[in-house]
Amino acid sequence: MTVAWILRRARRQVASQRRALWAAVGSFLVLGLVSGATVLGLRVTRAWMGTVGQGVHVIAFLRDEMEADQAIQLANALRQRPGVARVRLVEPAEALARLRDAVRSSPATGTWLKDLEPGYFPRSIEVALAASADLPQRAAQLSRRLRGLAGVADVDAMTNGVARLGAWVRFGQGLGWAVVLAAGIAALSFLVSTVLRGREARGRQAQVLVILGETSTNIRLPANITLAAAGLTGVLAALLVLRLAWPALLAAVEGALGIMPTPAGFFLGFWESAIALLAAPMLGWGLGYLSTPVPGWVDA
Amino acid sequence: MIWLEGVSYLRAGGRALEDVTLGVSGGELVVVQGPTGSGKSSLLAVAAGARAPDSGAVWIAERNIAGLQASSLPYVRRNVGYLPPDPLLIPDETALENVMLALAVRGEPIEAAEGDARETLAMVADSAWEGRLARSLSTGQQRLVALARALVGPPPLVVLDEPASGMGGDDREGIARALVWARERGCAVLCATSDPSFAQILVDTGGRRVYLEGGRIAGGPAIGLVPTCSPEPENANSPEAIRLSGRRSSGEESS
Repeated sequence: MTVAWILRRARRQVASQRRALWAAVGSFLVLGLVSGATVLGLRVTRAWMGTVGQGVHVIAFLRDEMEADQAIQLANALRQRPGVARVRLVEPAEALARLRDAVRSSPATGTWLKDLEPGYFPRSIEVALAASADLPQRAAQLSRRLRGLAGVADVDAMTNGVARLGAWVRFGQGLGWAVVLAAGIAALSFLVSTVLRGREARGRQAQVLVILGETSTNIRLPANITLAAAGLTGVLAALLVLRLAWPALLAAVEGALGIMPTPAGFFLGFWESAIALLAAPMLGWGLGYLSTPVPGWVDA
Repeated sequence: MIWLEGVSYLRAGGRALEDVTLGVSGGELVVVQGPTGSGKSSLLAVAAGARAPDSGAVWIAERNIAGLQASSLPYVRRNVGYLPPDPLLIPDETALENVMLALAVRGEPIEAAEGDARETLAMVADSAWEGRLARSLSTGQQRLVALARALVGPPPLVVLDEPASGMGGDDREGIARALVWARERGCAVLCATSDPSFAQILVDTGGRRVYLEGGRIAGGPAIGLVPTCSPEPENANSPEAIRLSGRRSSGEESS
């Protein structure tokens, strides 16, 4: 069969199975949306976790008796610990300046600040830990060790907030994965059932072509081509929808959560899009193969 | 053009063919006549390369299909125009497109195939049907379209299972004329029928009648008097083949 004949038969299949093909395009669209949104969602949560990881996790307030040299030695010792990203020694004067800045930017400015002196503030060491999934545990461990030191008056571990945030993020990720998995399985099942629904009719057509002497490859080609085209169309539509809708969706979610919006340009990379545009037609081609049973011998 | 040698075929109900040897040359029309259940359809399905024999050899287009790989079978089947008991048309395509498919498989361009298919359909059936979807045709009309599909080209070998089944007098005459048309173009035509009057019409046009009973050739010459089977079967010089063909052995020729 020539290329013109195969394309003609492919067009025939499109015309006679229009609804099934639209359903296949829709399934590919949903699969593309689910996969793309998963990748983008994971990227955003990773960025959020990174933001969480950049903050200060442990503050050790030092006793007045501790000399400046000892405080510097302690800060240096903390810098050597694994998993510590940044250590900063905050002198009483700086602590007072920070307080003044914070109060100045708030609407309730008071005159009481004038009477404050640096001496009222203890020297402190701020420790930022490297971001990772066990950050709350490491923060708690470090705060326990610091509390055991003689020169440390108190420790603000911030473990409660960080641990809660981490737990919620993990819960959200787990829930997201479950939803993504369920949606992916549902879309794939719908796609496979749509494709296999016309299997009997296509098998009968294949039987006709077998009798006429057509090769199994050529018999399957129209279904391969139409379903690969359905895959490509569905994924192209998914990429377009994500491109147009994702920034708005992300902005809406972040607005609802009351957090700073993620910087623009947060989209799928070239290779991720290329892989999707290759994988969907390949899946369609494979489904086309399954959709057309070709008998070796004919039971006419 | 086709040579079946010692062919046996089993089906679910028992043995359908038993040690059948039959040859049809190019330009020859062979009518296989026999009662229902005598194995005609099995014989024709095997001869068309649609079913594999359990034993024996089936030579079509220079190949013994019993020994072929499945991937090679399509190239043999392209040389055969086969009308099975069930017409097997594609219901969502028109009568003309169904006929054109046989030429499509042989690689004929669309425009040329359309012309040939239209011509054959007009000869066998009614050209007014060509635009009708196959599923809208009656069973008899579908059989005629399937017959046109088997004859279009025409291919070197035409195998027809009960082509006149359920047809009226005019249609039967038309079918017989179409078979003669194919034979005159050098086709080897193998046609099965359980209808003695249709078999007689074909014999009257110069066809050779073979009786099949209980899966065996029961009467009539299994091979024509002037066999020009191509290819020469492997054991064409076996005593049985020589006896059936009426040839003399090489020893006799030299003497």
